[in-house]
Amino acid sequence: MLKRFAGYTLTALNILALLIIFALGFKVFALPAIAERIYGDRYKELVFRCDDVMRAHLIAKNRVIVSPNAQNIQALHAAEVGLIDCQEYDILRKRLLSLGLTNNDLARLGLQAIQERDADVRAFVKVHEIKY
Amino acid sequence: MRLNTSIGVIFLALLPLSSAAMGPAIEQILRQQIMAGGFVRPEQVYQNPDQGLAKTGALLFKSTRLSLNGNISCQTCHLDQFNSADGLPNAAAVGGTGEGPPRMMSGAPLLPRRTLTLWGRGGREFEAFFWDGRVSYQRGKLVSQFGSRPPSQDLLVTADHLPVVEIREMLDDGDAFIAAHKQEAISSAQPVYRAIAHNLIVGEPAISYQIAVYFRKNVSQLTYTDFARALAAFIRSKFRLKETRLAQFVYDKKPLTDQELRGALVFYGKGNCIACHSGAYFSDFNYHVVAFPELGFGKNGFGIDYGRYNVTFNPNDLYKFRTPPLFNVARNRFYGHSGSVDSLQGAIVAHFDPLSLVDLQKMTSLQRNDFYKRLTLSQDTANRVGFLTQEDVQNVAAFLKTLSF
Repeated sequence: MLKRFAGYTLTALNILALLIIFALGFKVFALPAIAERIYGDRYKELVFRCDDVMRAHLIAKNRVIVSPNAQNIQALHAAEVGLIDCQEYDILRKRLLSLGLTNNDLARLGLQAIQERDADVRAFVKVHEIKY
Repeated sequence: MRLNTSIGVIFLALLPLSSAAMGPAIEQILRQQIMAGGFVRPEQVYQNPDQGLAKTGALLFKSTRLSLNGNISCQTCHLDQFNSADGLPNAAAVGGTGEGPPRMMSGAPLLPRRTLTLWGRGGREFEAFFWDGRVSYQRGKLVSQFGSRPPSQDLLVTADHLPVVEIREMLDDGDAFIAAHKQEAISSAQPVYRAIAHNLIVGEPAISYQIAVYFRKNVSQLTYTDFARALAAFIRSKFRLKETRLAQFVYDKKPLTDQELRGALVFYGKGNCIACHSGAYFSDFNYHVVAFPELGFGKNGFGIDYGRYNVTFNPNDLYKFRTPPLFNVARNRFYGHSGSVDSLQGAIVAHFDPLSLVDLQKMTSLQRNDFYKRLTLSQDTANRVGFLTQEDVQNVAAFLKTLSF
């Protein structure tokens, strides 16, 4: 009886261990990959949008420094409001981190977004290779 | 028959007239305009305070030890067969293999701008380096990232300090030492310069010894600036301006072809190219917006390059680039800061009809928006440069070839 109970317990523990391994595997490997597949493009889009408003804000700020007139000050206020676009980026960034993507993964996605037009250059060179 | 003969006679009679229109008087006017535009004989701008280091500098120019953790030298991207550049629209630097297009196709990470040629660098009155003039003279003062303490008062020597610490250019950021010093501060660059100097002392003992002898120092006392002076000596010597057909036309009264003369008339006349392409190097060393199409990811990412603004943070400098000098310009493979134009004629067209160089329907909304901004900011250029016909463009291109050597 005791032996049979021990056998059941061992089986249950094995199943539990297997489940934990699967769950961990899912969390560490599958979940980040799935999250990247689902949210990757959106993340890149938000990287651009946040970068765009941040650049616009810096330019607006510099315009006020160069010529502090009412029009430029108003434009700076508008650019400050524009920074709200970065909130969505921040939220998605945190969500992706909680889904298991690392800071390096996010940096890679960001770099891909920034350098997306890299491929155009290689294509351009390929077209003109005949000239060399 | 009689009518045809008459037309033929009139035509033949007019031919010499049209040649006469490009005759001695026009040539004389052109010579005056060319000299008034600042053109001088090449030897007048040559200077080389460290001439004695030029031969050593030639060896250093080829040394991959200049790259602290990569396999790249100055020569990798400044090749004779590509007019002292790399023959690519965007530079493909550290991490690649081969030269020119094979280097790009080898998967080398790209830099956002085209490699500049080296002609005339370091000569007298050459006042701004790089596309955005990040090393330049302003009101007689050297202005660079080094602030009030540049490594040298010599522009070229200071400029030689930048590529070696530029990540992706000659530095790979994939090691802990570089990652630890990856900050936009001069203080963080100093250990990197010390490491590069050490790398050269260890890896290039013969070169280091020659430089040490020149400066009367112990090899162990050499700094990166000493090596930079050797590089500058070589660059000045190897890429000095030489005699051109234009110089022979101006000073020795040698002829130019009819097409070249017509091109010169456009350049100094209705095209008003001389407004910016003036001085000894055909550059005013000032900054202007020309709405070239953008190729690649751009210095600011997403296909955007703010140009001079990235140096000054002055919004009035958005999209401005230094007027490029024109010696040997006809020998370039690509034109514009991002190499987006593949012919000299196209580069001329970019100054007065940039819309003809882009396919608006194929551009993304962001690309169109960025191009629109550049167009609106290029009004200064648009107002200066007159309308040119296709023939004018061909003639100007022919004229610019007289600046080759």
